[in-house]
Amino acid sequence: MIRNEYITELKSRTDAWRTECHGRKKEFKESFQTLSGIPIGPLYTPAHIADMDYLRDLGFPGEEPYIRGVHPTMYRGRTWTHRQLAGFGPPEETNKRYKFLLEQGATGINGVYDYPSLRGYDSDDPEARADVGRGGVAIDTVQDMQILFDGIPIDSVSVSLVSCQPVGNISLQSMYFANARDRGIAFDKLTGTSQNDFLLETAITIAPGVLPPKASFKLSVDAIEYCMKYVPRWNPISYAGYNYREAGCTAPQEVAFCITNAIACIEEMIRRGYDVDGFAPRLSFFNSAHNDFFEEIAKYRAARRIYCRIMKERFGAKDPRSLMYRFHVQTAGVALTAQQPLNNISRASYHALAAVLGGAQSVHVDAYDEALCTPTELSSLTALRTQQILQLETGVTKTVDPLGGSYFVEYLTNAMEERILEIIATIDDMGGIVKAVERGWVHSEISTAAFEYQAAIESGMMPVVGVNCYQIEDEKLPIELFSSPETRERQIEKLRKIKKERSDSKVRKALDAIRRCCEEDRNLMEVNVEAVAAYVTEGEITKTMKNHYGVWHPPLF
Amino acid sequence: MTKRNRMLISRLGMDAHWRGSIVVAKALRDAGMEIIYGGNQMPEKIVDVAIQEDVDIIGLSSLSGNHMILAPEVIERLRSRGINDIRVVFGGTVPPDDVPRLKEAGIAEVFGPGTSLKKIVRYFRDQGYL
Repeated sequence: MIRNEYITELKSRTDAWRTECHGRKKEFKESFQTLSGIPIGPLYTPAHIADMDYLRDLGFPGEEPYIRGVHPTMYRGRTWTHRQLAGFGPPEETNKRYKFLLEQGATGINGVYDYPSLRGYDSDDPEARADVGRGGVAIDTVQDMQILFDGIPIDSVSVSLVSCQPVGNISLQSMYFANARDRGIAFDKLTGTSQNDFLLETAITIAPGVLPPKASFKLSVDAIEYCMKYVPRWNPISYAGYNYREAGCTAPQEVAFCITNAIACIEEMIRRGYDVDGFAPRLSFFNSAHNDFFEEIAKYRAARRIYCRIMKERFGAKDPRSLMYRFHVQTAGVALTAQQPLNNISRASYHALAAVLGGAQSVHVDAYDEALCTPTELSSLTALRTQQILQLETGVTKTVDPLGGSYFVEYLTNAMEERILEIIATIDDMGGIVKAVERGWVHSEISTAAFEYQAAIESGMMPVVGVNCYQIEDEKLPIELFSSPETRERQIEKLRKIKKERSDSKVRKALDAIRRCCEEDRNLMEVNVEAVAAYVTEGEITKTMKNHYGVWHPPLF
Repeated sequence: MTKRNRMLISRLGMDAHWRGSIVVAKALRDAGMEIIYGGNQMPEKIVDVAIQEDVDIIGLSSLSGNHMILAPEVIERLRSRGINDIRVVFGGTVPPDDVPRLKEAGIAEVFGPGTSLKKIVRYFRDQGYL
């Protein structure tokens, strides 16, 4: 620690500089702050981090509190996974896009599912009729999953199932595992992640037929328990801070909601009788990279330190891997503009740079057309190339945590940590995140933040190039848009054929087993894997679960 | 005091993005509109609720790409029930080419990505709803 007299001297010299030198010049604004409202001063010095103890508060990469990175070598020894999101139309079409991205150097698959699949509806459901194949790939049965991964070496490529909501995840993940078993691939060879986040279902990406928070939460923990037992290298959950942020959260809320969600899962797994180190190493996170560059970097660093301390102090975790906040990043979709869409290439590049300077394990760069449509092959390729340029050309990978020790970044990391801890304490006081969702508190926090964000754009306080400044009147769109391939009829035809050919008695037995599991409050994963293997459809599984749990109307407005 | 105008705001089909619809709902409520927030609904239900609640305006929201199927259906269902005095507007992610198509189908106004709340409020004020 730096000597007290020195800090006193430094403070008085800084004050003198502010009045005599800095104060004589005019600045653009009276005050500056981060996107979430943390005040930013003109200059940071050792005085701002005088209480910092290097060994206690920063330490070394690969060691507690992991603020400088979860791996000792970071990108010097291991590149972040270039995991570009893809999914649209029928599985036959998305399979081609997966192969294209892998051929072009993507190092992992990031597969998103269409709106009905995420919520457990089949493509022939009348409620789903306008959304089949939109926003992701349509999956109804294990046969679709076979087609989706046909020719892709899933024993060596890591696959992220962007299955979002527990209600859909439980079927989609079961189909993925059943397909692997069918291909003769041992479960311990499978690497990847399921999104599986009850907050998405109940507060963030709400659509019709939401399960009640407790039921949705139970399903998410069922997947954690199943993977711990049978699929040891699979991350059974990815706390989707990215989506919380897209819905309107601030940076501190994003991390606080992720961590309190993890806390709830850990408490439930401990209640089910497991040792924290048996499952915690596989809990993973998913964060946004938004516009405010340094705030984002501070956010990732603060998240690592907070998580490490909570895991040690609150849960007594001992395995170092239990203490690590490992995360995937997607560049902020909400920051993209439909106006002058090519500008989004520069936006997403800065976002990705923040993710990498913040120590991400895996990154998706948004395509420039995402404010308008599903990415085309060209826009997806440009996004992948953005990652490759960042990795190979910029040199930012040459040292670990290059911004560590910056007076400003460390100050901001501390300020971010303080705000995150305040929100975590508030949620703890409410009895945890499930209760906070049930009473509508999470919804109201997010919608208030979303409203304030929009107000900041409207007042001009937050400039958005092409939207509230540097607009082009009557702009002619400079890009070609993606058009979705015909999906619904193709899916309905497959469903019709499967329903004719499968064994009705096996289907009945499988659905009975699911029903009994719900009634007896047992883990639903095992019976689901068997059900999908018998060609039970996702919609049939969901209806059986909803018959038992009912549906919930989230208090949104 | 004159009667406040009533508006039903609903997200079409399975669209998951509530942010825009809620932010617009709050802004219009603050501007003096009475808002009924319908959540996710299919056209038949939207029209049922609109009639039950005796609304003056229906605001549809979607970012999922289902707008060309479901938004015109809302208009058709209103017309088939003989209702011509409910104004239907749309907000969300819409490729520019779809805007004239939605208007042809009877959607009075389309608010695309990046539209300011001020512009939306001004629209309803100019049209005499606020």
